[in-house]
Amino acid sequence: MDLWQTIPQLLISGITFGAIYALVGLGFVTIARASQIINFAQGEFVMLGGMTTFFFLRGVHLPYPLAALFAILIVILIGFLLHLLVIYPLRKASLPILLMATLGAALFLSSTSALLFGTLPKALPPFSGSGLFEIGKVSIHAQSLFVMGATFLVLLFLYFLSQRTLLGKAMEASSTDPLGADLSGISRNLMIFLAFGVSAGIGSIAGIFITPIFYVSYHSGTLIGLKGFIAAVLGGWGKHSGAILGGFALGVVESLSVAFIPSGYKDAIAFIVLLLILYIRPKGILGSPFIDSRRW
Amino acid sequence: MVKQFQKEFRKRDLVYSIALWFLSLIIPDPQLHYRREYHFRKRDLFYFLTLLLLPLIWSDAHFHHLMVLSGIHGILALGLTLFLGYAGQISLGHAAFFGIGAYTTAILTTRYGVPSFFAFWASALIASFFAWLIGRPLLKLKGYFLALATLGFGEIFLVLVRESPTLTGGVIGIFDIPFFSLAGFVFDTYLKQYYLIWGVLSGLVLFSKNLIRSKMGRAFLAVAASEDGASVIGIDVARIKLGVFVIGAAFAGLAGSLFASVMSTANPETFSLNLSVLIVMMVILGGMGNLYGPIAGAIFLTFLINGLSRYQEYSLPIYGVILILLLIFFPDGIGTRLRVRLIYLISYLGRKKRREKVEL
Repeated sequence: MDLWQTIPQLLISGITFGAIYALVGLGFVTIARASQIINFAQGEFVMLGGMTTFFFLRGVHLPYPLAALFAILIVILIGFLLHLLVIYPLRKASLPILLMATLGAALFLSSTSALLFGTLPKALPPFSGSGLFEIGKVSIHAQSLFVMGATFLVLLFLYFLSQRTLLGKAMEASSTDPLGADLSGISRNLMIFLAFGVSAGIGSIAGIFITPIFYVSYHSGTLIGLKGFIAAVLGGWGKHSGAILGGFALGVVESLSVAFIPSGYKDAIAFIVLLLILYIRPKGILGSPFIDSRRW
Repeated sequence: MVKQFQKEFRKRDLVYSIALWFLSLIIPDPQLHYRREYHFRKRDLFYFLTLLLLPLIWSDAHFHHLMVLSGIHGILALGLTLFLGYAGQISLGHAAFFGIGAYTTAILTTRYGVPSFFAFWASALIASFFAWLIGRPLLKLKGYFLALATLGFGEIFLVLVRESPTLTGGVIGIFDIPFFSLAGFVFDTYLKQYYLIWGVLSGLVLFSKNLIRSKMGRAFLAVAASEDGASVIGIDVARIKLGVFVIGAAFAGLAGSLFASVMSTANPETFSLNLSVLIVMMVILGGMGNLYGPIAGAIFLTFLINGLSRYQEYSLPIYGVILILLLIFFPDGIGTRLRVRLIYLISYLGRKKRREKVEL
């Protein structure tokens, strides 16, 4: 059967996709753990990460690691600015307004990057040669391994940040119990500010690691952002482990679906998964600390 | 307070009160739903005459075209304001119902030769049928998750439209949809289409006005205030939410049908997430819990986008910045409490002059 031979290959590419969705989902979760805000501009951080690296590599001719470092710093700066200019003035606004404001910011970021970097899709060179190696009949892109490594490192970083440092505890406290955080002298606005920085950094890392595999163009951020959010909801909203699990599950399901239905429907799969999980188990696979099971 | 005003009457207060009287004619009352019954007021006559005479006074084909578009956006925003502004739910998939309406009309009129008048009603029926179908599982959700789920529905709709070229024409869409015609009268110029669309919009405004004063309309407000509270006083929350979702979808279906028969094309690019965001922006900028506001917001945003299109590639960044600034500085909508704010401003100016005199 031809079909069954393609499945291991699809599985590998699904896991690569899954690592990316997991990284983007971790960005959403970082902000949600600090403030209950959902930042729809998260996908734009991914896009900007790839775009600015490309700019530093090709436009300024910096060495690769330096270009990536500068790109991460710039995207973190954009994340801080997003909080200062959009989220902070709207900190007392109602949900639809905050939602629209982040969507407006996403529109602004993507169209500005089209203006600055051009509308053509861009690809970065892979990190180590053109590494394609084969195990049995399955060929693996070396970049996939880098993506997996990055996901693992980011997860480790977030774990230590939230479990082992006072700062991470303070971030979490400002979301779970705002009044208690205020009473114990935690500046909630500062925590949300820092969370936006961390989330933008994670987004840009995701962008840098995926651009060698897939082209990045100015409007690719929206879909990646939405799928990352779906991954975070699927695994369990507000949990690091949930975002990772949801990301891999979503990537594998999406990739395997190509074997059974026409590939044009691939983008719809993620949303169908979303509707199903929201209908059957809104808490997500691992359960969520933020969603009260009774009222959903 | 009124007594005080009469006691200290000055001649220049006449000027202010004339200004205020004019404002009361034009600016809608944000607390409309507290009125018990509907009277045909002078304000409505003013609106009606303005609508009737505006295209004749400003007879410019481009202006007529923009007003036609604003009218279609107005119908969409009116449907969403029942859902978002009155019942307090959020939907980012409204463009999908607009698309369903447009494609229904397109397919019925081009493939089966159905008269556009019947296709018009069929669009509303089919859009509301789809809303009823997906509304029951979807409306269990709240807040961000409802927004995301409706957004997902919109994206699935787009993918289905693109991937079934035999039915919908795929990415290219459907062309040569006949103009709307009723009993042999064809609406083929922008002026005729203007009267058609604003006529439909006026009818829908009247319908919505009656709806929000009905038992169901009161229930919307109760659901928006507190779902638990609403269910305690005997409101079937799930039914009310589904009902308002279906009504909003029917409005969107009507708008889509009109769009298809006015523009003569139906193309998946038109019904993307951007349109859904635009409609929600119209409702927010017009002011939630207000019927005239979203229509004003629709006109404002349609003209804003048209004005910005002169700047070509700079238009989208400028548009994004303007949206964020409007949200930051007018979170309750531009029109909401405008009268109160203007009264405050005018009275402040009046008081300021007097204060200066006293100090001298």
